[in-house]
Amino acid sequence: MKLTPHFQDGDTFYEQLLDAHAELSREDAELFNARLILLLANQVGDARILRDCIEAAKLAPAKT
Amino acid sequence: MTTRSTPAYQAASLYNDYQFSTGSGYVLPEYPFVEPAELKADTLMRHPVVIVGGGITGLTLACALARQGVRAVLLDEDNTVGVKGAASRGICYTQKSLEIFDRLGIYDRIAAKGVQWSVGRTYAGEDEVYSFDLRQQGSYRLSEQPPFINIQQFYIEAFLVDRIQALGHVDLRWQNRLTGFEQGADVATLTVETPAGSYRMEAEHVIDASGAHSPLRQWLKVPFDSRRGDDRWCIADVRFTSRPPVERHTWIEAPFNDNRAVWQHLMADDVWRLDYQMAPDADPETVSSEAEVRKRLARQFGSDVEVEIVWVGPYAYRSECVHGMRHGRVFLMGDSAKVVSPFGARGGNTGVADADNLAWKLAAVLQGKADASLLESYNHERLEAAQQNVCVTNRTARFLRPAQRSERLFRDAVIGLARQMPFARSLVNTGRMAIANPYSESSACSYAPGSGAGQSVQNVRFAWADGSPGHVNDLLDWAGGNLLVLVFGDLSAACVQRLRRLCFDAPVRSVQVLGPDASPQALEYVRDPQGHLQGACHVFGHAWALLRPDAYLAATGETVDATLVTAIERSLGLR
Repeated sequence: MKLTPHFQDGDTFYEQLLDAHAELSREDAELFNARLILLLANQVGDARILRDCIEAAKLAPAKT
Repeated sequence: MTTRSTPAYQAASLYNDYQFSTGSGYVLPEYPFVEPAELKADTLMRHPVVIVGGGITGLTLACALARQGVRAVLLDEDNTVGVKGAASRGICYTQKSLEIFDRLGIYDRIAAKGVQWSVGRTYAGEDEVYSFDLRQQGSYRLSEQPPFINIQQFYIEAFLVDRIQALGHVDLRWQNRLTGFEQGADVATLTVETPAGSYRMEAEHVIDASGAHSPLRQWLKVPFDSRRGDDRWCIADVRFTSRPPVERHTWIEAPFNDNRAVWQHLMADDVWRLDYQMAPDADPETVSSEAEVRKRLARQFGSDVEVEIVWVGPYAYRSECVHGMRHGRVFLMGDSAKVVSPFGARGGNTGVADADNLAWKLAAVLQGKADASLLESYNHERLEAAQQNVCVTNRTARFLRPAQRSERLFRDAVIGLARQMPFARSLVNTGRMAIANPYSESSACSYAPGSGAGQSVQNVRFAWADGSPGHVNDLLDWAGGNLLVLVFGDLSAACVQRLRRLCFDAPVRSVQVLGPDASPQALEYVRDPQGHLQGACHVFGHAWALLRPDAYLAATGETVDATLVTAIERSLGLR
């Protein structure tokens, strides 16, 4: 699992993500996120990296 | 498959014939009670093997032992196969089970009575989201047996009874109920109740194949894990005036069942098994009333289709798995060891494989070919299979009955994507069809990197030396309950000598496997013109494969040397 930047263009991705969410209700946003996770997970494919990502997401603090 | 069901229809009357009845319910064969010798004997009789329970698992074991000439007693509390007045139970038999039944000599009857299928389709709403054809998948088509045959479980049980009676060696005792049990280091003592009185007997090996409500498991206080959900289903066995296609259809969200799941599967006698998912904790009596079932059938197939309801009943899923499949002299198998929800046909098929696994080991130990410690590998191998099958079916159950909001959310996301994108279809889980479970940590297998040890070998075709066709099961027959060494490619004179000595010293037979034109060095050889036998044994080029009587590989290797000798010893419990 990579923890250093791997994005070609992180800022553009982040903007696209926010734009996609802009018009969505809370429920639609949740469904959108779920679809996005599944699509991205399939790009990764590697079982160990996927497991590590799930564990890393659990470890991050809930709110600062 | 395990069902906790109460029959909604009265038990059919019994005849000595197992044709399907035209009315409601199934007609089951009836077997006579014969007074056991113990009732008249003055001394306690000791049996090498006593099998408790005459379901598909116990009968498979009994038949496999009978075939090896091993004496055994089988106790069944009833006087028939199946459960009186109850459902068809298990309906779907895997290629591996069919290969086992072929070895036992009942496959032709199953094939003649059952229905073959290979296409499965999964729907969400009106749309098909996923389909498969097992005949197009990998190596399924290489076996002499098809991917699956659907048939009511009691037919297979009845075929097994007939076969056991023809083979002899096994004493089938109907209306003999186990009521007491104790065991020491060497022997167990059983108390049995019959219509003519009760008796006691001793057993060296006790097989608990008594099912999900095993009394032995309770008496022995066998620890187990358990999971019970609130998912409720209704099974209906029905016949139609118009025939649906011979395919497995599953709906995750069926419009004709309030957007809950539905299963549709064909069995023998033109009977269809329909499983309807009910609202959580629905009242079982109401959801399985005939009026309710007829309404649902009309919504699914149209109101003009005439329907004959053969059987209907509610059931709730649970899953259970013991922590160990051997407790002293007692070996647990089938539903006594694990209970799974019926997704993927991992119930009855697992019981059949449990029985086939223990049968050759018991026979080898009792005939002095193997050390008693070999029996411990039954626990290693079949516990791994049980745990795997429980894990896989629990995942399906979770997909079909999402527990919380977020589980529902991800399922909605999967179904939404699956309509357009193939990758998401792989996450749609309406049951992963049962396979021959591999053994990855058995004491009886010798593992090495890239080895096929612990893998099942399909019943593929080869040619005997005279050119006539044969199958792996014929080779196993030829080996006669001994281990089989298949040596692929040319053999040096020293190798031939070594193999001859090995077959003289150990319960092993060996055969050389050659391409279409190569000249043989060993006395016994077969030809594998298409390489199917070699592929099935998971080896390439010059190699050997050590095949067990249950068609699992104990080991594979390259040169005929000490590694083969060690592998043979290990597969006989001598190491």
